[in-house]
Amino acid sequence: MADTTAGTDGARPRSRRRMPATGKWLVLPALLLLLVFVLRPLVRTVELSFHASDIVGNPTRFVGLANYLDLFTDPGFLRVTLVTIVIALLGTGIATSAALGAALLLRRHVLGGGLFAVVFSLPFAYSAASASAVFAGLFAPSVGILNTTLARVGIDGPAWLSDPVAAVWAIALATGWYEFGFAFLVLTAAVRAVPPETIEAAQLDGAGGWRLAARILVPIMRPSIVFLTVTGTISGLQTFAQIQVLTRGGPGGATTTFVFQLFQLAFGNGTPDFGRASVVAVVLVVVIAAVTVVQFRLFGRNDA
Amino acid sequence: MTATVTSRRRPRLRAATVVRFLVVLVAAAVVFFPVWTSFVSAFLPSGVVVRDGVLPWPGSLTLRNFVAVTASVHLVPQYLVSVAVVTLQTTAQVVTGALAAYALVFPRWRGRALAFGLVLLTLAVPGESIVIPNYELVSAIGLRDTVLGVALPYLAAGYPVFLLRQAFAAVPTEIWEASRLDGAGDLRSLFAIVMPACRPEVTTAVIWSALSAWNGFFWPLLITDSGARTVQVGISQLAASEASDPSVLFAGTVLVVVPTILLVVLAQRLLVNGLARGVLH
Repeated sequence: MADTTAGTDGARPRSRRRMPATGKWLVLPALLLLLVFVLRPLVRTVELSFHASDIVGNPTRFVGLANYLDLFTDPGFLRVTLVTIVIALLGTGIATSAALGAALLLRRHVLGGGLFAVVFSLPFAYSAASASAVFAGLFAPSVGILNTTLARVGIDGPAWLSDPVAAVWAIALATGWYEFGFAFLVLTAAVRAVPPETIEAAQLDGAGGWRLAARILVPIMRPSIVFLTVTGTISGLQTFAQIQVLTRGGPGGATTTFVFQLFQLAFGNGTPDFGRASVVAVVLVVVIAAVTVVQFRLFGRNDA
Repeated sequence: MTATVTSRRRPRLRAATVVRFLVVLVAAAVVFFPVWTSFVSAFLPSGVVVRDGVLPWPGSLTLRNFVAVTASVHLVPQYLVSVAVVTLQTTAQVVTGALAAYALVFPRWRGRALAFGLVLLTLAVPGESIVIPNYELVSAIGLRDTVLGVALPYLAAGYPVFLLRQAFAAVPTEIWEASRLDGAGDLRSLFAIVMPACRPEVTTAVIWSALSAWNGFFWPLLITDSGARTVQVGISQLAASEASDPSVLFAGTVLVVVPTILLVVLAQRLLVNGLARGVLH
């Protein structure tokens, strides 16, 4: 293949042939590392999911689909699946829609717009773990600043971390807040990339404010919105730090996600069970692949 | 006619500007609330913010919470571990990424498409789903609870390879050929010619790698006990142990986010133009 394309150009192949063809070997460090630490583990995870585990987690005998049947017949696992999907969609929905609003508001001249843009970008400075630690302080039951602040404006805040429904919202809010920063950066870049002529033409046609945003800007920014929705859902389906810091899966399993269950099965306080934990990992891979395909079908082609 | 339209529209436009400013102000206050509250609480005696509200009188500023947090968890050694992990991972990811991207763009060779396909495949693998086999391997070679053990599975990453490959592909082949004809080897062509021509994308790759290394949580939590804890793991343990005193916890979060807050405040434009635009290609 290489020679036929190069051969169309008269003088070059000869001069290139004199150079030692060593360049291709430079792919090896990255490729070998990715094979050993990403692709091999994927295959090994599937292998582990078909095996029973001994007392330290190591695989013992082949058990076929027994681990899968165990998990799929457990009604608790259906709940874990639903909780994971709800948290992923809520967190991504909050982050993406709020960031879209903020980026559109700051497109026009606003007093102090540059400062506001920095404020809206600040959550990007937080990791899932540090954002969760901040929200742990805000949500704290007796000394939580969020509910005392809400009380000052006459709102009676819920028991964020001990009520099963409020706990899911607490996780989604912490997730939505820290993902908002990145979403705002991406959508700001997208709104700035809209050609000014397009906006001027639409304004001449009488479109202004919300109509301009809904009919012209959002369709043009669609690839960025799809990108954020898909990547946000993918990372949301792997939610762990927020659960580990804020709720430990509780109350009563109300916020146990795939990765938190994987963590408990493989590395929790009980006997490590790499077999069942690997089933959760395989389910995670399959669900993420399925959700990604469905979202691209729903929201349009992969032009992001 | 036109005159009446403009004169009638102008006051309405001004009202719209004021309304828009107020909406932005309220939205910014909501987004800023966790940052403001945690920073203010960190510098005040515990309980002041709960008692006096989020705009307290700054009369009783104190560093006691910072002393308490560095004493109760080993935040200083954890900081050193995090800095070491970031340095190791970022250097390795950018260097292996640049080498691979070079090999995938300039020399023509059989299997090039397959190699790139494998890199793309790794982008589709959810990171948290493959920790058990990596845990087995890193433990088996005795690197549990070490800085190298934290960084080892992430010495190469698919995204920097992908990003730099796209950037290198936009460099005119003639530039590369000229440097090769001048007798430059592959490494010199890469580091002296190709990389400087792609400075924005290289910067984006460095920021992406450094942030993902600094923010890493699940893997460092699994593979360390107390010898090589990172700040992210440290702050999560603090949240579990100090839930009764948010001020000390907030002081810890302030220390952990200061480097990335500086990045956002000083380089917000760079992040929009580099990272945010870069991820869309």
